[in-house]
Amino acid sequence: MLSTVPLNAGRRRVFGSVFSPSPAHSLKSDNPVTSFESTDSSSTVKADSQSNSFATIGGSTDTASADEEILDHARAAAAEFLSVPNLGFELLYAYRDTDGSELLKEWDRLAPPSKECAEALGYLMRTSPWTLFEWYGNDIRRHFLMNFRSGLTKLLASPEKDGLLRTIVDCLQLARRIYLAPVLHFLVPLTPHQGAYLGQLQRAFHTVVSYSLPWREVSKLLASELTRDAVVILGIDTLDEAFDAEISEDEMEVERSYSVSYKDWREETPEARENLMAEGEDHRVTIARDQLLAFLNGLQLVGLGADKAQKVFAEVMNILMGDFIQAAYAGEWEAPSTVPQHLGQWIENVYARLAVQVLSVIHSDVESGTMDVSFGDVEKWRTVGIARLGMLRVSELFDVVVDWPASSGAVEDLRHFVTQTKPRAYVTHWFSLNLQQRLLHPGASTVEILQVYISVIRAFHLLDPNGVLLDRIARPIRRYLRDRDDTVKVIVGGLLSDSEVVEGPGPADTLVELASELTRLNHHAMQNKNSEIDFDDMSWLPDPIDAAPDYRKLKTADVIDSLVSLFDSKEMFVKEMQTLLADRLIQNRRDYLRETAVLELLKIRFGDSALQACEVMLKDLTDSRRLDHGVRNDQKMWGDLEASPTELHAKILSRFFWPEFQDQEFKVPDEITNLQKTYSKCFEKRKNSRKLMWHNALGQVTVELEFENHSFSGEVTTWQATIIYAFQDSTPDSPAKRSISELADQFEMSVPLVRSACLFWVSKRALHEVTRDTFEVVEVLEHEHEHAPDSDSDSEAGEADAAAAAEAAAAAAAKETAEAAAMEKMNVHWQFIVGMLTNQGPMPLARIIMMLKIAVPGGFPFSDEELREFLGGMVTKGKLEIVNGGNYKIVH
Amino acid sequence: MDYNMEDTQNPVEAQKVAQRNDTQSVTKRLQAELMQLMLSPSPGISAFPDADGDLLAWTATITGPTETPYEGLTLKLSFKFPNDYPYSPPTVLFKTPIYHPNVDFSGRICLDILKDKWSAVYNVSSVLLSLQSLLGEPNNPLNAQAAELWDSNQEEFKRHVLARHQDLDDE
Repeated sequence: MLSTVPLNAGRRRVFGSVFSPSPAHSLKSDNPVTSFESTDSSSTVKADSQSNSFATIGGSTDTASADEEILDHARAAAAEFLSVPNLGFELLYAYRDTDGSELLKEWDRLAPPSKECAEALGYLMRTSPWTLFEWYGNDIRRHFLMNFRSGLTKLLASPEKDGLLRTIVDCLQLARRIYLAPVLHFLVPLTPHQGAYLGQLQRAFHTVVSYSLPWREVSKLLASELTRDAVVILGIDTLDEAFDAEISEDEMEVERSYSVSYKDWREETPEARENLMAEGEDHRVTIARDQLLAFLNGLQLVGLGADKAQKVFAEVMNILMGDFIQAAYAGEWEAPSTVPQHLGQWIENVYARLAVQVLSVIHSDVESGTMDVSFGDVEKWRTVGIARLGMLRVSELFDVVVDWPASSGAVEDLRHFVTQTKPRAYVTHWFSLNLQQRLLHPGASTVEILQVYISVIRAFHLLDPNGVLLDRIARPIRRYLRDRDDTVKVIVGGLLSDSEVVEGPGPADTLVELASELTRLNHHAMQNKNSEIDFDDMSWLPDPIDAAPDYRKLKTADVIDSLVSLFDSKEMFVKEMQTLLADRLIQNRRDYLRETAVLELLKIRFGDSALQACEVMLKDLTDSRRLDHGVRNDQKMWGDLEASPTELHAKILSRFFWPEFQDQEFKVPDEITNLQKTYSKCFEKRKNSRKLMWHNALGQVTVELEFENHSFSGEVTTWQATIIYAFQDSTPDSPAKRSISELADQFEMSVPLVRSACLFWVSKRALHEVTRDTFEVVEVLEHEHEHAPDSDSDSEAGEADAAAAAEAAAAAAAKETAEAAAMEKMNVHWQFIVGMLTNQGPMPLARIIMMLKIAVPGGFPFSDEELREFLGGMVTKGKLEIVNGGNYKIVH
Repeated sequence: MDYNMEDTQNPVEAQKVAQRNDTQSVTKRLQAELMQLMLSPSPGISAFPDADGDLLAWTATITGPTETPYEGLTLKLSFKFPNDYPYSPPTVLFKTPIYHPNVDFSGRICLDILKDKWSAVYNVSSVLLSLQSLLGEPNNPLNAQAAELWDSNQEEFKRHVLARHQDLDDE
């Protein structure tokens, strides 16, 4: 019933316009409705039934005219001729694939009118052609709704969506021909105004079609239909295929002539590039194009084209541009990049071409509104394309940066994108998000983060030489790096690492890059750094508009400067530098060229004063070598040296300038102590008022061991040497035997350290563990060939095990010292806590922590949990008590 | 601020900058003093910065020396450091009510090294030690009645001291 309402209203309007409204007519205006309803219920329309609205209207206009009767007759005849038999949708559907001539015969639409009828038509066309067409238009609507609508709706609802719209359009085209064939053949030739009349009927048909097919459904189908062909025409499908399908060589050659692939395009010469897309077209593309245009033509004819189809087309093209860019350029990061040129050509030759062709088919009805593609539109599309490319690159940016410098092409592409403020904000926003998700989390090692940061500095320097973007991106990274404990260590380690030795993939835990960066130092970069504003700088420019308030212009992508400036003061950096330098300098090496060179380079950056301590350290070493010579000569002169076969060399360090060493204190054998004493004596003679303090734990000892049938010689640590010295009295007949506690007492060495040293010697086959914690010298080493061959590997494995055990024991010893040091530190903090609680009254844990963080110089190094544990310990010791609500209070 | 830094012609700005640098050096100095106090604590005295975070206000504690009327008492003091510390003395007040010839009823102290005899070599710990010894040997009467009583009747004096004393600890 829904259908009758608009039809009804439309009809009433039509009557009103055609027949002058008379009081009598207005009274009877309900007639058509009832007559229409009766038509609706009848299965066939017979000419004599006269329930047809046209006839009824004719009858109802009972003006007493002389021609009335003739007109009536003519109308009846015309109606009979024009009215369409109600054969239903199935018949139409059956003929959907034919050209339609059969169908027209079947529906009896091609038979010429009888003579009488022709006369009637001629009469009507002469007297009241508009009425005739009005009526026929209405009849078309009525017939369509009655016969085809339900069928089409069912068809539209069918689950098989593929090609569905084509079928529907085919059917609709046939229907259109059924309605218009007699008019075209017999009626239109009778009048000079064919266009207007036909247009009226077309419009009637179009309205009813678009009324019966809900556009929501149709637009979906249309979109998928358009996408299917456009994907082929735009070349997106070939791009996807290129990855998996390996086509045979010949075919490849054939296809080469036409390709939208960026890879193919790059390989061509610049001249050939111009033609690659403009000339020649793949066979498949041509077919798809013809198909699509034919389909759209049909669509336009049956009234589903025009504005609405244009909108769908625009949506589809919009999506496809993104798809193409994704498919063609994702992962294409080589430099120099020609992606923007390629994209421009593609838009001009492929994209715009399709748009022009399609839009010329589905133009609007209104003549003035036909959509032409102007050159400005192409330009606009190009801008859109670049923007899309930029978005693609932004989404890839993190990987691009990680791959740096192999991926600089992608950054070049991005440069076309970041010309305005909004895209710039977009870049930084997304990249920051990416960084948070992928880099700045506990899973990434500091070395990784620093490496990416270095790449970020370089990539963004290329992207935006002003450094505004880098400034924004770098902030979260820098903030995060500051929170990492080992950042300084990694940076300093990287600076001191040996860039010449480690070429290619260096060890994962050092930033070798930094060392090479340091030597590549650019002196121009150092200029102008101190003066904030150079008033003579004629090329001065204000800061970019989107710069942060505290933005500082970077003249170059100075990686080291960026890293060093991570920390507020150089002090921290220099301190770490000292520690690392100390470790390296303590080692027994012939020269320290590398360290000296690095120090000199760093001095250029930091100034001499900052690195004074480091310099003193290096100087200590050269001085002590000279002194060592001197002392040695003195000793020779006095003949002290003959007393002992052991040589003692010392490194004399100025304690004030060296970092604290974590010593494991122990006593060295008496022989060594004596040597130390004479050495000190000589030293004190040479340098008045200076004293030597021996650090027994630091240093190396070259040990030579002679056993019954084997020997050992090598460089070991001092404590290892001390332990083996205790076994000195061993003879082949009675191998010396010592227990760990004995040794620990003898040398005042910690038990884990003794154990570690013993295990070390076990791994060297100098000792073996007879019983638990008791070791004995291995005087006679059973030779391998006396054993079965497989025991060889056993003993080797055993040796490896022992070495591992020794290492583990050493680590345990080191840990113990570290813990002791931590405890020592905690004691200082305990003083702070006592002071705090004495003076400020009882406090909760959180407040204590906060205060410690403020008050303790260098920050409070322990976690909340550690402190809670420590305070808990103090409570059990009775030094603290917990009063109301978890406040700690000092016990007097 | 960068702008200010350049324009050193302007005396007011220059002064501001100088002042800021001063504050920094005061903070540094106080930090060092705190560290020293913590590393080598003297018996009977203790001090710690207040919670407001800028180190310019401290609270100190003195335990009353043996063989004085103050034996066993805990006395709290407040320290306020000026911006040009250590070139000017800190302002020191007793927070704990105390009956003493050199201290008035609002806690103000009459001690020469906190006034005209102040020198930059003094520090928190030396001030506290001086105050600790002042408890045993008052000199410059601010509270005349207390001074008189100190000389005439030690018993009575001690009674006054205990009557006035009031522990501030668990406020």
